[in-house]
Amino acid sequence: MNISYNWLKDLIDTDMTADDVAAQLTRVGLAVEGIHPHHDDYVLDIDLTSNRPDCLSHLGVAREITAITNSQLRITNDKGQSLKTEGQTLVTIQDTDLCNRFTARIIRNVKIGPSPQWLVDRLEAIGERPINNVADITNFVMHEHGQPMHSFDLDRLSGGRIIVRKATAGEKITTLDEVERELDATMLAICDVEKPVAICGVIGGLDSSITDSTVNVLLEVAYFKRENIRATSRKLGLATEASYRFERGVDIENIIAASDRATQLICELAGGEADDFVDVYSNKFVANAVTSADISESVKRLTGLSVETGECVRILNALGITASDDNKSFTFPSWRHDIAIEEDLVEEVARHAGYENITNELPPAYGAGEYQRSEPRKKRLRETLADMGFDEAITYSFIDTRHDGVFENVPELLDEQVEDKYITLQDSVIDGALRMRPSILPGLLDAVRLNLNFQRRDLKLFEIGKVFAAHAGEDNLPNEREILTIGVTGGEISEGKAVIVRELDLYDAKGALEAALDAVGVSNADFTAAEVKHLRIGQTAAVWVDGSRVGYIGRLSDEIAAGYKFKQPVYVAEVDLQAILDIATIPIAYRPLSKYPAITRDVSLLGDRNVSFSAIRDAVTEQNFELCRKVSFVDVYEGKGLQENERSITIRLEYRSDERTLIEDEVEALHKEILAHLEQKLAIKPRF
Amino acid sequence: MSEERARVEAVMTAFLNEFAPYAGLNLSGASLDDVESKLREVAELKIRHTGKKSPISGAMNLVGKVAPNERAGFGQFVQSVQKDIAAKIDRVEKTLNEIITNAKIESERLDVTLPGRRPRTGHLHPITILRQKIEDIFVSMGYAIEDDREIETDHYNFDALNIPEGHPARESQDTFYTTQGFALRSQTSTVQIRAMERRGVPIRIIAPGKVFRRDTPDMTHVPMFHQIEGLCVDKGITMAHLKGTVTEWLKRLFGEDTVTRFRPSYFPFTEPSAEFDFSCFKCHGTGKFESDRCRPCKGSGWIELGGSGMVHPNVLRAVGVDPTVYSGFAFGFGLERMTALMYSIDDIRHMFENDVRFLEQFK
Repeated sequence: MNISYNWLKDLIDTDMTADDVAAQLTRVGLAVEGIHPHHDDYVLDIDLTSNRPDCLSHLGVAREITAITNSQLRITNDKGQSLKTEGQTLVTIQDTDLCNRFTARIIRNVKIGPSPQWLVDRLEAIGERPINNVADITNFVMHEHGQPMHSFDLDRLSGGRIIVRKATAGEKITTLDEVERELDATMLAICDVEKPVAICGVIGGLDSSITDSTVNVLLEVAYFKRENIRATSRKLGLATEASYRFERGVDIENIIAASDRATQLICELAGGEADDFVDVYSNKFVANAVTSADISESVKRLTGLSVETGECVRILNALGITASDDNKSFTFPSWRHDIAIEEDLVEEVARHAGYENITNELPPAYGAGEYQRSEPRKKRLRETLADMGFDEAITYSFIDTRHDGVFENVPELLDEQVEDKYITLQDSVIDGALRMRPSILPGLLDAVRLNLNFQRRDLKLFEIGKVFAAHAGEDNLPNEREILTIGVTGGEISEGKAVIVRELDLYDAKGALEAALDAVGVSNADFTAAEVKHLRIGQTAAVWVDGSRVGYIGRLSDEIAAGYKFKQPVYVAEVDLQAILDIATIPIAYRPLSKYPAITRDVSLLGDRNVSFSAIRDAVTEQNFELCRKVSFVDVYEGKGLQENERSITIRLEYRSDERTLIEDEVEALHKEILAHLEQKLAIKPRF
Repeated sequence: MSEERARVEAVMTAFLNEFAPYAGLNLSGASLDDVESKLREVAELKIRHTGKKSPISGAMNLVGKVAPNERAGFGQFVQSVQKDIAAKIDRVEKTLNEIITNAKIESERLDVTLPGRRPRTGHLHPITILRQKIEDIFVSMGYAIEDDREIETDHYNFDALNIPEGHPARESQDTFYTTQGFALRSQTSTVQIRAMERRGVPIRIIAPGKVFRRDTPDMTHVPMFHQIEGLCVDKGITMAHLKGTVTEWLKRLFGEDTVTRFRPSYFPFTEPSAEFDFSCFKCHGTGKFESDRCRPCKGSGWIELGGSGMVHPNVLRAVGVDPTVYSGFAFGFGLERMTALMYSIDDIRHMFENDVRFLEQFK
C-alpha cells in the first residue's frame, strides 16, 4: 500500500525524515518495501500483514507513528452533528446482520468539476487517478480515514431513497466499470425503490453515478459484514479498494468522522450545501476488553523483554487500547479487529519496545535429540544408491489422470473395499494433474524422458516418497505409504570416460535393489518370476521379504515404452519401503571361523532354459547335507552348441566340515548324490 | 717365459678381435629385438671366453712351464687378462641389459592423467542434502525429528492451528483439496499438532516435509515444496529462546559471523509473531560481493528466510496444553527457496524436473 510522507505530516507533528519513518515503521511490523520520490513528496510502499486493515489509511499509519514518537494525532473525531435517525424514510436496512451501520447524507447544489491541485497531488502521489471533485474527495477520505464511501446522484435514485437488501437471484446491475453483473441471493445490494444501484462494499452502479450534470449528491458511508463482502467479491471475481478494506474490517465508529470530512470537503471544493443526514446504526459496536493481571510480567513471560507497566500502558494507549485505572483491564478500539487476548497486547508492546531488544538465548538443556526411527536406515539406503551411480529425484505428488490403471501399484496400497481407489484433487494448477500419485513411476519416467531429450541416455534414478490411495477406514483418511522407486536405462558410466562400459540390463536394476534392501538390513529378499501389467513378460520379478510381497522389478513393457518414445530398454522397480522398514532387521549372529579347508566343485548343468537358478539352489539345499555349505552361481551359457530350449548353468558347491579336513572320496560321493538328485528332480545333468 | 706370455697375449688378441663388434657398440635407434639378439651373442661370447674351457682358462696351464721365480708374476698376468676379458664382457652385458630394462620401462610408461577407473557416483537431491544438514544440527541441539501425514483433515491443517473457518488462509485458492474434502497440508505446522498429541509437552521437534500450495509453477513458485518447522514448548520459553535458537542453527549452517533480524509480523498460529532474516552468507551482510551488488540478498545484506513466533494459546489449548503453564516458540521456512538462494538457482522449477545436469551439481 502506498502512503504519502507529506500527507502523514498533515496528520502528525514529526521531525522524522521519510527514511526515518520507513525504518521505524518497518521496525514495528509495517514493512516498508520501498521509498519512491514524487515531486516534493516521498511515497512509502508498505507491505501490510492481513491482520492490520486499520493501517490501510494514512490515519492508521499515523497512529502507529504516534506510538513510536509519543506524539498526538492532529485529527479529532468531531461527533457534534445532529443525527436524524428517528422517523426518517431515506434509508431502510432489511438485513441488519449484514449491514451493521449505514449513513446517508444529502449534499445539494454541487458543481462537478476538476479537483484543486493539492488534492490531485495527494492522489497522484499514491498512484490514484483523479476523476472529478466529488469522486476524488471520497477517494481521498478513504485513503485518509480508511473508510470506503460512495456518492450517488440523488436525482437518479428512483423514489429518492435507499433500501439495503439481499439481491434477488438473477437481478442485474451495470457497475461503474461498465460491466453488467448478475447477482445472487446471498449478495447484499444498495437499492432504490426499483433496482440495485450498488453492490454493497464492492462497487457502485453506473446509472446512479456522479456525472458532470449531477447537482444533488447522496453520500453513503457504511459498515458491512466482512465475510459477506469477501464472499461477494470472490463470487463476482471483482476485488476493489472498497472490498479489500471491508472484507478485512473497517472502523465502524469512525463512519461519522469520515462522512463529516467528506461532506466538509465537498461543500468547500464543489460548492455544495449539507442537508439531511441519516445514521442507521442497529448493530452497535461493543468494545471488548481483556484483563491482564500484570501486563509487564506477561510481556516478560512471553518475550523476555523488561518493559515497565507505565511504558506498556503508554504504548497501548497510543494505539487506542485504553487501560483501566488499575492497569488490569484493557479495552480495544473499534478499529482493531485483530486484538482479543492478552497475548495480542503483549505483541503490541513487544513490537514497539522492539524485537531487536530481545536477547538471544538458548532454552535450558533438555533431553537428547533423535532422528526419526527409520531415518538412519533411509540415509544408508540413499547413500548406497548414490554410491552405485543413482541420482535422487523428487517429482510432483500429483500426476495426470491418464496414468490411471496403467501401472500396477505396490501390494495392498489400493483398498479393494472402496469404489474410487484413487485420491483426486478438486482442481490443480498443472494441467490434468488431478491424481495424488499411487505410484512414483509416472513421475520418474517423465524425468527419464526429459533427460533423454537432453541427450542423457545413461540414467540411474531413484525416488523415495509417499504414494496415496483411498481407504475405507473410520475417518476415511487416505492411505499414505512411503515407497522406493528406481529406474535404470542406457549404459554403465565410468567417471571421466566418454563411452559407456557396457549396456545395463535387468541384473543392474536388481543388483541396485538388492544393495538398497541390504542397506536397510534386509539381506534375504526373494525374487520370483511374475507377471506385472506394465512390465515385459519374462523379464519381471515379484520381490518378497519374509514371505510378504513388497513390490516388483522388471523391464518396462514395449507398449508403455513406446508411449514414452523410449528407444532403449528401461528397467524399473517399485517397493513398499514402509513395509520393508517395518521388518525387524536380523541381529548379527557370529559364526566361529572354520579351521579346516573347503573343497569346491564347479559343475555345468545342462537342462531346460526355464529351470531357474533358485530352483537348482533350493534343490541342493533342501537335501540338508551338513557338509555342503554353499551353492553359488558362476555363469550361464546358451546358444551355439546347445539346443534352442537348453541352457547350461554353472554352479559352485562348497564342501566343508567344522571338525576335520574332508577327504576327496567322501566329497566325491556326496557331490554325486547331489547331482543325481538334481537330475532326478529338475532333469538337469552335468554337461561335461 | 716370453713365449708363454706371447701365447696369453695372443689369446687376448683373439678375444679382442671377436669382441671388437661389441666394444664400441652403437645401439641408438636399434629395436628391442636387435638389442636382445646382441645380448644373446654376448652371452655366447662370455661362455666361450670366460668358461673353464675358454682359451684364457687353458692359459693357466702354462704357469707350470714358466720358471719358478717368474710363476707368481705370470700367474698374476694371466689372472689380470682373465679379469679384463670378464670385465669387458660384463660391461657390455650390463649396458645391453640397461638398454633393455629402460626400453621396457619406457614402453610401459603410463599416462597418469587418464581418468581413474571408477563407476560414476550418483547424487542426492539438493533438498535431501540440505534437510540432512539441518536435521543434524537440530538433533545435536536436542531436537527430535518428526513427520506425519501429507493429506490432512481441516482440523489439523487449520482449526487446531487457530485458522478458523472463514479465515482467508483457508480459501481453496491457496489450498489443494481432495474430492473427499481433505486438504493437502499447506504447512508442516500440522506436525506440531500431531506430535504434541503423541508426545505431550515439554517437546522440542523439527518437522521437515512436503507441503502443497495452489501456486502455478513459475520461476519463483512451485505447487509443492519442502518446509522445516520447529517447535519448542516448555515452562518458561520466551521469544529470547526463539531468537537464540534460530540464530544458533543459522550460525552452525552458515558460519559463526551470521547474525539474525526479527521483524514483527502476523501468522494465525503464533502471537507475538515475527519474520526472521539472516545476514547474507555470501556478502556477510555488506550487500556487495566482489564490488558488485550481491546476488542472493539483492544488495540488502539480509536474506528473508521464514516466519516464527510464540505458539498461539489456542494452538496449545487445541492439544490440551495449558497456556498459562507452558509457552513455546515455533518457526518455519522453505527449503527450495533456501537452496535457490544458496546456489543462485534462478528457476525454482528445476528442483522437480530431475534433469541430471542439475542434480549432479550437488554433492
